[in-house]
Amino acid sequence: MTDEAKKEEQQAPKAEAAAPVLHVAPGPHAFSTSLTTRRMMFDVLLALVPVFAASLWQFRLYTVIQLVICMVSALLAETLFTAMRKKPILIRDGSALVTGAILAFSLPAKAPWYVGAVGSFVAIGIGKVIFGGLGQNIFNPAMLGRAFVMIAFPAFLGATAYVVPDAAIDGLSRATPLTTLKQLGQNTGLLPLFLGTTNGSLGETSALACLLGGAYLCLRRTASWEIPAGIVSAVAAIAGLMQWLAPVAGWTVLHELFSGALLFGAFYIATDPVTSPLTPRGKFVFGLGVGALVMLIRKLSGYPEGVMFAVLIMNAVVPLINQWTIPTPVGGVVLEKKS
Amino acid sequence: MSNDGPTPLERFINGILPENPVYRQILGICPTLAVSNTMEGALTMAGAVAFVLICSNILVSLIRGLLKPHLRILVFTLTIAAFVTIADRFLAAYMYDMSKLLGPYIPLIIVNCIIIARCEICASKQRLGAAVMDAVGQSLGFMLGLMSIASVREILGFGTWFGKWLGWRVIPAAAPEIWSNWVIMILPPGAFITLGLLMGVMNWIEARSRKARKAVAA
Amino acid sequence: MKNSYIGQAWLVIVLSLCFGVALAAVQTALNPKIESNKLRDTIGQIPSLVPGAADGKAETIGGQTVYRAVDAQGQHVGWVIPARGQGFADVIELLVGTDKDVKQITGLYVLKQLETPGLGDFITGDAWRSQFKSKPADVPLVITKTAPKTDSEVQGITGATISSRSVVGIVNGAVEKFRSAVANE
Repeated sequence: MTDEAKKEEQQAPKAEAAAPVLHVAPGPHAFSTSLTTRRMMFDVLLALVPVFAASLWQFRLYTVIQLVICMVSALLAETLFTAMRKKPILIRDGSALVTGAILAFSLPAKAPWYVGAVGSFVAIGIGKVIFGGLGQNIFNPAMLGRAFVMIAFPAFLGATAYVVPDAAIDGLSRATPLTTLKQLGQNTGLLPLFLGTTNGSLGETSALACLLGGAYLCLRRTASWEIPAGIVSAVAAIAGLMQWLAPVAGWTVLHELFSGALLFGAFYIATDPVTSPLTPRGKFVFGLGVGALVMLIRKLSGYPEGVMFAVLIMNAVVPLINQWTIPTPVGGVVLEKKS
Repeated sequence: MSNDGPTPLERFINGILPENPVYRQILGICPTLAVSNTMEGALTMAGAVAFVLICSNILVSLIRGLLKPHLRILVFTLTIAAFVTIADRFLAAYMYDMSKLLGPYIPLIIVNCIIIARCEICASKQRLGAAVMDAVGQSLGFMLGLMSIASVREILGFGTWFGKWLGWRVIPAAAPEIWSNWVIMILPPGAFITLGLLMGVMNWIEARSRKARKAVAA
Repeated sequence: MKNSYIGQAWLVIVLSLCFGVALAAVQTALNPKIESNKLRDTIGQIPSLVPGAADGKAETIGGQTVYRAVDAQGQHVGWVIPARGQGFADVIELLVGTDKDVKQITGLYVLKQLETPGLGDFITGDAWRSQFKSKPADVPLVITKTAPKTDSEVQGITGATISSRSVVGIVNGAVEKFRSAVANE
């Protein structure tokens, strides 16, 4: 809900009370009452169901444990910090649940309990409430929380933390596809990447699940399709160029798209309406930036995957993108004054 | 020069909390952020700053009648640089491990704004007594700021308090499933986050006490 | 007089002179102690780096300062080679101990490192460094992910591949360079 819409909602009852006054308010005059924060957040949770199913199939109980830890801590943190700021507690809007869920899906299965808990508290506290609550934050809270725990506990979130040699679950005993590619130069088959029978963060393994949930989000207009489109086209373009210049046997553009957290990030993380640009054109530019940074980090840095850093860096550029892409107002171009 | 301005006692008290260099003036942030991940480092740094601050305040106060306005900053810098070099050499000779740990941050005290600010604000204008009390108060305030940040960072980052000198373990060593040290607290981001949060706490306390005073007055 | 340069600047000149004298005095008084501290940092490690060594003295071989490790009777027992190179975060400085024919590595000590605390700084730990004891010095060492199978393998640190690889690279480079320098002597 935009600020103006909120204001109007507050003003409306007052106007009725002071009866015969002609009430004139700034636009928008007509807005969809179904497009509330609560509806959007529960849409995201609904869209996460296929991801949850794929993750449950691949990582079993680990998924449930990590989700419970993160979502409960996120709710606790939201209650605590909003109470500290003496603001109305808005847990019912579901935004804390979404932050917790996305953080949980971006963690490795075996991360200890405090990784999720500390991550959620940082995500909600430093990532969101400090800026003034939902709608005011600059950075994606879940990714900020993940970046914090990644630096705080590198032993549990680095590439090697994903591998649990003595795990009962088959998938956990192998390195993640991007790590095997980077360190050993080995490739993973397209089908396992698509279905999600590989190792990785809880929510990222199955490209199919991310595509299903993402399609739902885009059709419902909860997520803007321009952002995932931008990310995917940038990654595909760069991967295609690299394949043409220096082909790696058995590794194609599709492998690049289906591996790592790319699709999960494109549909669920980068599309956060608060931390992405306002206009469709801006959103596409934002997506292109995220995709290009992901490829930069994947190919040229010490990290195997870069979705988290790419999203955080592009979050910082959002005000600039908004400046560049101010739409033309209805009625034509504003004439610039001649000096 | 006349000797109006705060009394020595006021100078002393102001330095500790009301005009705390770290939390109120936000001066000397470079060492505050750089060497505050262990109590030992923080204490050594605070000691070195105290030595330099007290010595330069004394000297500047003694020669304040001779200062030329347009050359005063040059004199301050010269004085500070000399005392910093002495402190640096002493640390290298008698506390070699600390000197290695603090590395370039001891020579960097030269550009620490606390000292030049105190020379300018107090020592070059007031008598010796006020200048000394001011230096001691500001040094204590700086030490307090550094130690509060270092306490948080060392306990969360290493699980110890005065780990290198006294070996006190605050958080018992545990299996990684139960607890683990926060590496981020040892690294620079931890310094920024801790400083920000502690500054918030300081502001919160002050706002509360101001409110309480108002309630009493009303 | 008042407006001349000397009139303006006499205080600065006098202060500079006083401080200069004071600093010179401090430097003269403390320098031996500081130098011995620095030396102790290196020489003090020699007994733990080369078995049987009691002392060491600096020498220049092939344009490089190395330490000749001697036992209590003054017999030459080995070498300590200072080495440096790029780590993950910053430059790593090492001391590598070898026997006197530079056939075998006898020890490793990390003088300076700024690797990731909790991960890369494991290179300073005894457990990891002791792997280098009695490794061959005439073949390059390699990092493995699993327990070493051959003589020249060193197990890397989980989660700090780059740090461990850097140390092995620095050791290989320094030993190789020193070996050829000794051969040319």
